[in-house]
Amino acid sequence: MLAALAKNPSGKPVDPDRPFVLVVVATGGPRIAALNAAAEALSLATGDLLADARAKAEFLQVRDADPAADDAALRRLALWATRYTPTASPWTEDNGADGFFLDITGSAHLFGGEEKLLADLASRLQKNFGLPARLAVADTPGAAWALSRFHKTPSFVLPPGQEAAALAPLPIAALRLVPETRATLRRLGFKTVGSLLDKPRAPFAARFPTELLRRVDQALGRIDEPLVPIVAPPVYHCLRYLLEPIFTHDAIIAHANRLMATLIHVLTRDDVGARALRLCLYNVDGAVETIDIGLTLPTRSVAHVARLIELKLEALAAACDAGFGFEAIGLAVTCAEPMPARQTELTSVTDDRTERCASLIDALRQRLGPHSVRHFEPMASHIPERAEVLPPIDGEATAWPEAEQKPRPLLLLPHAEPAEDVTALVPDGPPRRFSWRGVTYDITGAQGPERIGAEWWRYREPKPTRDYYLVEDSSGHRFWLFREGLYGRETTAARWFVHGLFA
Amino acid sequence: MGFAQPNPAPIAALARNRATVMAELRRLLPRMGEQRKPLPFGLAAIDSHLPDGGLACGALHEVVPAAEGCIAAAFGFIAAILARISSPPPCGEGLGVGVGRFCKNVDAFTSPHDPHPSLPPRGREQRAASPRAHPLFFIAPTYALRPYRPHGRLHGHGLNALGLDPDRLILVETAHRKETLWAMEEAVRSAAPAAVVGVIDTLDLKLSQRLHLVATDAGLPLFLLRSAPPTLPSPASGGGWGEGSAAATRWRIGTAKAARDRFGLVTQPRWHLQLERCRNGRPGEWVVEYDHVAHRFSLAAALADFSRARGAGEKSIRQAS
Repeated sequence: MLAALAKNPSGKPVDPDRPFVLVVVATGGPRIAALNAAAEALSLATGDLLADARAKAEFLQVRDADPAADDAALRRLALWATRYTPTASPWTEDNGADGFFLDITGSAHLFGGEEKLLADLASRLQKNFGLPARLAVADTPGAAWALSRFHKTPSFVLPPGQEAAALAPLPIAALRLVPETRATLRRLGFKTVGSLLDKPRAPFAARFPTELLRRVDQALGRIDEPLVPIVAPPVYHCLRYLLEPIFTHDAIIAHANRLMATLIHVLTRDDVGARALRLCLYNVDGAVETIDIGLTLPTRSVAHVARLIELKLEALAAACDAGFGFEAIGLAVTCAEPMPARQTELTSVTDDRTERCASLIDALRQRLGPHSVRHFEPMASHIPERAEVLPPIDGEATAWPEAEQKPRPLLLLPHAEPAEDVTALVPDGPPRRFSWRGVTYDITGAQGPERIGAEWWRYREPKPTRDYYLVEDSSGHRFWLFREGLYGRETTAARWFVHGLFA
Repeated sequence: MGFAQPNPAPIAALARNRATVMAELRRLLPRMGEQRKPLPFGLAAIDSHLPDGGLACGALHEVVPAAEGCIAAAFGFIAAILARISSPPPCGEGLGVGVGRFCKNVDAFTSPHDPHPSLPPRGREQRAASPRAHPLFFIAPTYALRPYRPHGRLHGHGLNALGLDPDRLILVETAHRKETLWAMEEAVRSAAPAAVVGVIDTLDLKLSQRLHLVATDAGLPLFLLRSAPPTLPSPASGGGWGEGSAAATRWRIGTAKAARDRFGLVTQPRWHLQLERCRNGRPGEWVVEYDHVAHRFSLAAALADFSRARGAGEKSIRQAS
């Protein structure tokens, strides 16, 4: 509903104090998908037909639901909530898609306990987003989900080990079941979770899909429920709340420096270096800017990281809007690799150079884009255009084969270009004259042919064989020409192409 | 002893000749270290012509194709120079690694008139020991490596055939001219690569001064390949070259007919080098051929001195040295 309000698709402002519903097209016509408190007060409910609702409520404000925008808004909110814990997991469709899980294991004490964390979260959601949230803390995601929806208080902390007792009075819907299972259970007379819990399992396993027992077990913590975090959880994480919002690049870099200096101690203790870092800037208005930094070699250098952040901020200068300023800044190591302490040798400069080279590649990549720094990699193919690739550099050296005696051009044209007016003494001999790009070249020496067959396993229709010639014109330009098709066998009118230039 | 000499040291110093003083100063200069050795061509005719006995290491060098069709030759000339910048051998291994394979070129190393014996070819063993320890950075706009309409892109196997291990070359793609300049400066400043090559279309005096200063500070050679030939000299610009440049040298590379063996096969590429401008030196003109196995330049046999063959007018200038 928040997303729809924010987007305001019809252009007419919505009065939040009057009945307002979002509708989706379903069986029997448009049905209510979400509604506000004023509409609820008129005893409307989700799933009602819009026609019935209009009969009940006068001047009902109706908008189309936009699930994609809702999803995006939920993701933004979950990203914002990573300030409490790195593991935030927005709810999927079968969870109702209207909230998120936070795994606050080990991070609640940073906020003074679970109650205080919930109070802080509730007040920030209300203040920043205007969202009245329902929050619950429990040992399992299933129990937390049930309590947040069906517990009478909007903010509730369940003491450990009391899931069964807390869930017992809640309705069956608290188990996140599909509507059919829920309807069957209701017909059988099961109204609360408690009525299910003390029954033997075997009849349920036989009668219902496995989903029912799985949901019960997940709620009670008998089986694990893995959470899918919105961003990969970092290995090391450091977050700093600021008293005053910051705006400038210099301030961001200064704070990032301090965060990195804090992380260094942990990295040094564990003998690892950072291979990938993520800088999160939490805007006052709830938006989160993330800056990802990849490194060629593991590093523990504050200055190097600061420089990369600076380059990225420069590149992002237009896109990254400080708005009302950033109120919190977090730096996370998302990928760490072993980086044992090294004995520096007095005479050796090789290590130093390797390090400098890695930091240069990092800097270039950070400013010019992740695919801007490339290297040559040979491929096992005789077709010249397939014989090498240019992948982004990954720090691994590739072994090139020893140069062969066959001539290979220094510059290769991306696509072979047709050579015109080719004269050859015999049809399958070397050319004596050709023109290319409007210039005619008289050939004084030719070398070849080097016959390269097509890769028949690659194409349904076999491509013609190529006969390559190294030719030199009277002023010393050297070209790599080929004739497509074996004369007399594959073709009767062979075509000539220019494929490369020799040094 | 009648009267003591007050201070014998200065008198002794005065007695020393100029060359010794210069040598002493060179030794005392802090950054005249190992890194700043010039890159010799290994060819007496050219090396003696250049003020440092080779291409100065911490300097900007311009390479310009003589005509649009000569761009491959210009690329080849740069590739040949880069291939000669060899990585130092790893500790415990001599320079002789890999010579055995190339017995036929052994005489090349023992050339009597050669003041800078060329380095032996890199063997696979040596290459494996220090992979990418001394990379070469090649910075070019995207259109030069990607579908670059005029003349294609660098081909790894072609580099290999010219004796430059493609694995040492790191390509940097930039989207526009500003990024190219930034990347060049960044690469040189870091002093990580063994050499930096940039492809750029136009160059003015201010820009070349800046790049030259960066290269001087880092002590790295910076090669600038101009994709378009610079403007020709005109009387309007004071009779000098059309555009000013602070580069230490400017080479204009033209094509020449390749060396062939007795079966008519191309054995070594030949280039027509014109040293168009040279700081503290004079222009010159040669036709050289390049041996990709020994990484060695030599004068083309038929026209060993191109300028001499042209006429006596230039001969007098050349002989003034």
